[in-house]
Amino acid sequence: MADKLLVRAYQVGVGDCIYVHIPNSQDGFHMLIDCGTIGSIELLEKAVRHIKENLLPNAATPGKKRLDLLVATHRHKDHIKGFDPEFFKDIQIKNIWLSAVMNPEHKQSTHTLALHEMATQKMRALEAFNLSLSPQLQQLMSMFSLDNDDAIKALREKIPDENNISPVYVHAGMESKDLNLQLDDATIKILAPENDIDGFYLGKEYDESLKGFQNGKIFFDNHSISTGTDHPENISISDFLRLKSRMLTNEFAFAETDSSLQNNCSVVLLISWRGRRLLFTGDAEWESTYEDGKHNGSWNVMWKMRHADLNDKLDFIKIGHHGSQNATPWIDGNNQGLEVNQIFNAILPLPGNLSQRNAQAIISTERTNVYETIPSPDLLVELGKRIKNTRDYYSALATIDKDFYKKKPFKELWEYEREDLLKAQQPYRTDLEKIITSKGYVDVEIEPAE
Amino acid sequence: MLNPEELKKIYAARHVLDSDLERTLGVQIPFDAYLQDPLVAKEDPMFGFDENIYIQWEPGLADGPTSARFAVVDYNADTESIIPPAIWASDKQKFIKDGQILDQKNASPLQFHQVNVWVTVQRALRFFQEGSGLGRTIPWGFEGNRLIILPHAGFCENAFYDRRSKSLQFYYFGSQNERVYTCLSTDVINHEFGHAILDGIRPHYMESNSVQTAAFHEFIGDMTAILILLRNNEFRRKLAIKTKGNLDKADQLAYLAEQFGRTVKDRPYLRNARAKIKMSEVQNDDRPHYVSQVLTGAMYKILLSLSEHYLKERNQTPSQAYWNAIQRMQHTAIQPLDLLPPVDVTFRDYALAVLRYEELTNPKDPYGYFPRMLNVFEEYEILGQQDVIKLNQPDYLYKRLDLSVYYDMGYVVQSRSAAYNFLNDNRKDLYIPSSQDFIVSDLYDAAKLTREGQRLPREIIIEYIWEEEVKLDGPEFGYLNGKLTTMLCGGTLVFDEFGNLLSWFRKPGTQLDEGKDYIEENNIGLARRAEFMTNIAHRVKNGQIGLDHGSDKGFLGTRATPLSLKITHGMVDLEMSPHMSLEEDESDFGTGGRKWQISF
Repeated sequence: MADKLLVRAYQVGVGDCIYVHIPNSQDGFHMLIDCGTIGSIELLEKAVRHIKENLLPNAATPGKKRLDLLVATHRHKDHIKGFDPEFFKDIQIKNIWLSAVMNPEHKQSTHTLALHEMATQKMRALEAFNLSLSPQLQQLMSMFSLDNDDAIKALREKIPDENNISPVYVHAGMESKDLNLQLDDATIKILAPENDIDGFYLGKEYDESLKGFQNGKIFFDNHSISTGTDHPENISISDFLRLKSRMLTNEFAFAETDSSLQNNCSVVLLISWRGRRLLFTGDAEWESTYEDGKHNGSWNVMWKMRHADLNDKLDFIKIGHHGSQNATPWIDGNNQGLEVNQIFNAILPLPGNLSQRNAQAIISTERTNVYETIPSPDLLVELGKRIKNTRDYYSALATIDKDFYKKKPFKELWEYEREDLLKAQQPYRTDLEKIITSKGYVDVEIEPAE
Repeated sequence: MLNPEELKKIYAARHVLDSDLERTLGVQIPFDAYLQDPLVAKEDPMFGFDENIYIQWEPGLADGPTSARFAVVDYNADTESIIPPAIWASDKQKFIKDGQILDQKNASPLQFHQVNVWVTVQRALRFFQEGSGLGRTIPWGFEGNRLIILPHAGFCENAFYDRRSKSLQFYYFGSQNERVYTCLSTDVINHEFGHAILDGIRPHYMESNSVQTAAFHEFIGDMTAILILLRNNEFRRKLAIKTKGNLDKADQLAYLAEQFGRTVKDRPYLRNARAKIKMSEVQNDDRPHYVSQVLTGAMYKILLSLSEHYLKERNQTPSQAYWNAIQRMQHTAIQPLDLLPPVDVTFRDYALAVLRYEELTNPKDPYGYFPRMLNVFEEYEILGQQDVIKLNQPDYLYKRLDLSVYYDMGYVVQSRSAAYNFLNDNRKDLYIPSSQDFIVSDLYDAAKLTREGQRLPREIIIEYIWEEEVKLDGPEFGYLNGKLTTMLCGGTLVFDEFGNLLSWFRKPGTQLDEGKDYIEENNIGLARRAEFMTNIAHRVKNGQIGLDHGSDKGFLGTRATPLSLKITHGMVDLEMSPHMSLEEDESDFGTGGRKWQISF
């Protein structure tokens, strides 16, 4: 263990809580990447307590443990909900890295922040109406809920203050040696987000669209009469209510754009340690191809701007966005010439045979009825062909209970798992590993290559 | 000017009045609307406004505008407020705002936009309903008689028809000084209206999972836009001067939605009707707008060839040639729509319907229109070699339909129940499986006119459908594996009033167990079912089936899948999503289900 790098993903529902231990000449370098969930906060409290009691070394301050680096990849609550100062009061945190977009003073994200502020305002206003929403929209709305403000504040102010440090808002191009981290044999490079957040991820179109929307709203406000409880005189009330429910809502459209932007502004870390390459992706998304000045996916920007760092085989990858299709650059089919497939093949090439699979992966996920395509079973099976730490979950679960698929949580959601794909090799998943091992976390150990 | 009581009397007698007389008497009222869109109007004033759009006066014309078939509701979802409606001034027989008539001299108020879009859809409805079109009143695809029109629905690069809310929604986009109102683009309005019309004529097309059927919807939208524009006397006259008879050079006609295209797509149009794409080039393409260009391109080529024929072979002036070409195209493209099958239409079905209608209305074909069209359909690979060989063989105009039980068409046309009795008693002869509980999904008669304004024989059209259950069995159906769904089957029978069979399109199932040639019919049904299953598997694989991202505050259109899904008691129902948007992004091609993934 002492000479192995450890990545541990805690089972916290749909959320990331990832501990990394990088061996060094002393008691190791200890990192926590994200601590969030869309589910219960108790899971996070338990995970932090477990890390504190079992993994962290003693700090110089008596009665405290030491965490060398805390990283919050982006502002979504499935990544930061657990940053409650109370959970961390017995931990001395040496460094905090936050995405550059979380810096309210960041000059090259002013438009992105304006969009975020507007989307937040709109979503909170809608929340007050207690609307009937589809599960997906409910989920989207919850990303803007008030309870996330506390976590942001804790990351920017409370936790840094308690540790007498300032958070570092990181962007691509920075690396551990510039940030005074003692890592011995390892380096940590930041591959995303780029410093020019507005330019790379928002793009001119979205910026103009936002301005157009706001100007249009002022213009139409000045030419309209408020509906209040009234309805147009030439249609019935029921027709009017139905009509309103079937119109495109910019509130949700901008909220969704903002949400995607925040994902694309995830901190992506490349850890190089004794000949091994480990990629922690946050929820970085992809689009079809990189285009100058347009709204781009983070993967496409990395491929363009950080090509030399990205364009090589990985030894480990933290699968993004809980196994959603939008966070791993892969398109099913034979078109290997597509930019996203080029990226995928570069970082996780298909091995000629099973023994050549060297990479490992972890996915923090949970099958819920909120979003049926997370995780994407096809994507998991494709990953299973390219990495070595995989499992045939159908056999593993059937060993415990041959009728497992007739019981919760599979009973209602079985159709989304797909029997044939559950029988194929899939990467280690926190949700199913919990059933099999009862440990509540998944470990990946990486040996040095050199 | 006649008073309202006098107008009502004239209106009651409108069927026997000549159009010019109606205009003189004031039961057709002239309105102004943009010929194409404000950008074209600004750049080329010659193509600015059309000031002679005559709309039928109605006793119920009211503020909004509101008429028998349309209600303009200017609600804006962004501001959650209503723009006051244009007021109907019966003394002036015009719509007004603040006492001023809303016309091209007073086009800046938003109320002019309301009038503009209303005038444009009124004209488009007439185009379909008149004798040169379908010769009948066309119902909407929803319960109700008024299509709701929203001229300023909100900020978005979009416009669409939505059956569930009975509406055509037009959005606006762009900056303060360059705001593009889709409700002012004649092409966009007519395109979206084309969806509403087709949904009224063939509502079950919305339940198809076939890309070609979705593409047919887009074709009708684009064809409607082109034909109505060329039907416009003012536009045609100006076009004749500009092009001197070379219609192929008429960008104004072939470029659909210039303003939208230039603003959003960075090119002079949204789609170009002159696209020369063949069927073999779109075999694996699942973008309806893109695929639709095959049929639009073919029909546009027929239009050009007709224009050239009138100009060169019949020595007409450009103005005459264009008039004759468009008049003939309205008959050629629109009238056969009544022949189409009730479900899962293909481009081939449409081509065969066009040719069949040509046979019926122009049997001697002195100018060779039939082979001219056949060649184009073959060139675009819409019809195969076998079709061409068969269509070139000499044949009788009417074929006898061997039926077991004779019915008089006078009885059949009385009601759907009567039509059901007729079909039911002849199930075996009509290839309707004995086990299926079919319905008569529509029954109507049409009074169409020839190009010369002569009455064609009255047509009696019977559409019937049944649902064949299909089990989605296999891993390729993903989360739908093991569920039941239904494949729609049926046919459209068209008779003349004497009972002669004019046309019969069928979409067979697989469950016939008796009758003449029933095995061949089942084989066609089996091929349909195989394609049906392949389509679903493809859609599942590419993430194109999903739930609505909806709320009572509206829905998230950007992530709506092409097919929306409803599962009731294990039975899967699929329906085309309403967001038949104006464009598809080429870069979306091949991005699998990623396009429809919500980010959170």
